[in-house]
Amino acid sequence: MTPFEPKIVGFLCNWCSYAGADKAGVAQTPYPPNVRIIRVMCSGRVDPQFVLQALQDGADGVLILACHAGDCHYDEGNYRATQRHRMLLRLLRQFGVEEERCRFDYVSAGEGDKFVQVVTDFVETIKTCGPFHRLPGEAAASGAAAQDCAPE
Amino acid sequence: MKIAVYFCNCGTNVSERIDLRRLTAELAGTPDLAYIKPVDFLCAEDGKHFLQQDLIAERPDRVVIAACSPREYEKAFMQVLMKSGMNPYFLQMVNIREHVAWVTPDPEQATAKAATMIRGALARVALHQPLEVREIEANPAVLVIGGGPAGLQAALTLAEAGRKVVLVEKSPVLGGLPVRYEELFPNLECAPCMLEPLLGELVNGNQAENVEILTLAQVAGITGYLGNFTVQVQQAPRYVDSAACIGCGLCIPPCPVTTGNEFNYGLNQRNAIAMPFPGAMPNVPFLDSSACLRWKGEDCQLCRDACPIEGTIQFEDRPKLIERNVGAIIIAIGSALYDCKNLPGLQYGELEDVYTSLEFERLLASNGPTGGAVVTKAGQPPESVAIVHCAGSLDSKHKPYCSGICCQYAFKFNHLLESKLPGTKVHHFYRELVMPGKEEFALHEHVAHSPGTTLTRYSEIASVQVSEQDGKKLVACVDAAGQKQAATADMVVLCPAVVPAADTAALTGLLGLTRDKFGFLQELHGRLHSTSSKIKGIYLAGACQAPMDVQKAISQAMAAVGCVLSELVQGKRLQVEPITASVDEQKCSGCKICATVCPYHAISHPSGGPSEVNALLCHGCGTCVAGCPTGAIRGNHFSNEQILAELKAVLQ
Repeated sequence: MTPFEPKIVGFLCNWCSYAGADKAGVAQTPYPPNVRIIRVMCSGRVDPQFVLQALQDGADGVLILACHAGDCHYDEGNYRATQRHRMLLRLLRQFGVEEERCRFDYVSAGEGDKFVQVVTDFVETIKTCGPFHRLPGEAAASGAAAQDCAPE
Repeated sequence: MKIAVYFCNCGTNVSERIDLRRLTAELAGTPDLAYIKPVDFLCAEDGKHFLQQDLIAERPDRVVIAACSPREYEKAFMQVLMKSGMNPYFLQMVNIREHVAWVTPDPEQATAKAATMIRGALARVALHQPLEVREIEANPAVLVIGGGPAGLQAALTLAEAGRKVVLVEKSPVLGGLPVRYEELFPNLECAPCMLEPLLGELVNGNQAENVEILTLAQVAGITGYLGNFTVQVQQAPRYVDSAACIGCGLCIPPCPVTTGNEFNYGLNQRNAIAMPFPGAMPNVPFLDSSACLRWKGEDCQLCRDACPIEGTIQFEDRPKLIERNVGAIIIAIGSALYDCKNLPGLQYGELEDVYTSLEFERLLASNGPTGGAVVTKAGQPPESVAIVHCAGSLDSKHKPYCSGICCQYAFKFNHLLESKLPGTKVHHFYRELVMPGKEEFALHEHVAHSPGTTLTRYSEIASVQVSEQDGKKLVACVDAAGQKQAATADMVVLCPAVVPAADTAALTGLLGLTRDKFGFLQELHGRLHSTSSKIKGIYLAGACQAPMDVQKAISQAMAAVGCVLSELVQGKRLQVEPITASVDEQKCSGCKICATVCPYHAISHPSGGPSEVNALLCHGCGTCVAGCPTGAIRGNHFSNEQILAELKAVLQ
């Protein structure tokens, strides 16, 4: 059996996190190829529905990466993004989806190493969680999924 | 739809990790994909030339460029699309170098990842809309709020560049705080002499016709945006016609009323009709109706009788609401001092001869309440003066920041005391001494080794206690080593923290600006855009933004003018970037969530109905799009459909 390779979507803000990912590239620091990066101008653009849709469309995990607090190019978009992420986690819990599947973190334009570390760590986390089971069609998917991850 | 993919080998940077043949096979059959063409260096002049010619020959509907980061060459490739007759927004880049080739050592994995990302771009670009840069008319005139050094310098520089300027100053006099100082640090330059040419040029000089000066005036309302602001200015009556007055001052001595002179912080009296201080500009007295007998029911007109020019004193003058149209606004309302009554140990307002630095500046000034004589309330020159630095600065219970200017003026005071009253002892009590820069330490060097000067570093301001003892002040503190220290003095001068001016909050509300955690006006970016506010077309200059000295305030003013001149070019229409939010009025419920999350006040509800986005103010961040509960707001070029199409395709 081939080992589980999670599909991960990463929403990266243009100014910090996307540039941080570029930095990792320029430094040629390898990291797992599981993350599909979608560039948005600001983490504040990430509609919580994008995350739900990603899970629905086949993602096993979703990363939202933003500028550090106080560094947002648009001043407060990252702050909105954290608020929405917190709300989203509550929603995911209600659906029986593990919180670990949606991570919010800060990566600045200079933090290529941090980007690599966050991605590597997240891929590991999702590997531990296992594949995300979607409804409909998969019996008791949400309940089963919730038990997949060890409690923190 | 015909979508072209151009694959940049980037020499071997990309091609050695990503196998084009396998990639092409993997993408075969992807809807709308017309072809994939490899190019060696697409960013080189040859590459761009090839791209342009090929686009003209192939006429694709959309273009995907798989190459390096869009942060590098997206703008350049958009130019190429434009030159080939395509809409530049019909492009999507895929970052297969930084995000794939350089970070994925296994070619098989790299090729698979590149294919996935290109699939996402193909799905997305098919939904790209043809966007256009719009142009609108703009008014090149500028409103400057505040007539201190920063505001004056901004107004003069703009006028010299041929701009019409409206300068609004709330007091009857121009020059801000420094015009009231006898000497400025670090070179002990005469402040009124330094500002006089600036003032002269604005009030009576070559630039006077370009600058409309409104004293006793405050901004009461502002609507509009960069290029098109409408400003309401409320002007209090001066009761003296500035155009007719010759500034002789004959109206002042006959006035029978005296009241505290706020221009000298109440240290002396003035008449109801008065000049703020000798040499004040504009050289026109003002009549204070709160003190004048006519407003107390008496028929006094001694000032008018004394005036040699009939009709100059106008008791019937009334408040005016003046409306002006401008394209940009520079805020230069300056700063104020922390209220030392919040530091009860210093006894400010309780004991006589305890002064703030501004009050002491007036005691030193030759046009001040004592004509420049430094004397105690009892009329005696002090034998010793204690100067308490950092009064409220560098203290988490008060203001945690360093006010930046106090050390220098404290040593200036020391120096001036030595020259006015040789032999005076000066005791400095400080929390920290901060004097960076090439000239700033000079005054300290001059006085620190003087036999009459002592320096004591206190542990915290709460330990500094001023008390009365045998007719003198005793200043006691716990020093940095934990030892009790004390000195006696005839006079105590406090150096209070520099805080935002009183009007800052009101003006912030009026303009929709934001303030930082200390209450100062907030910059767009503290390092890169320190003279821009968060609202396009509104700029900041001087101490309204942070504590600063005259030199920095003037530099900030010039920088703000630079922003105005480059963003609001005379005779040129303003370009409106198309990556903004737009509202579908049919879907909008008018809940206004978008307006609360917009950092730029770009969203309004003019008729109380659906939201309206001002494309000129919108920065295109998309936080309103994410916040809209009905999906009524579209993020141009980052729409839900485009992002979701990319999402679906990368997860195939």
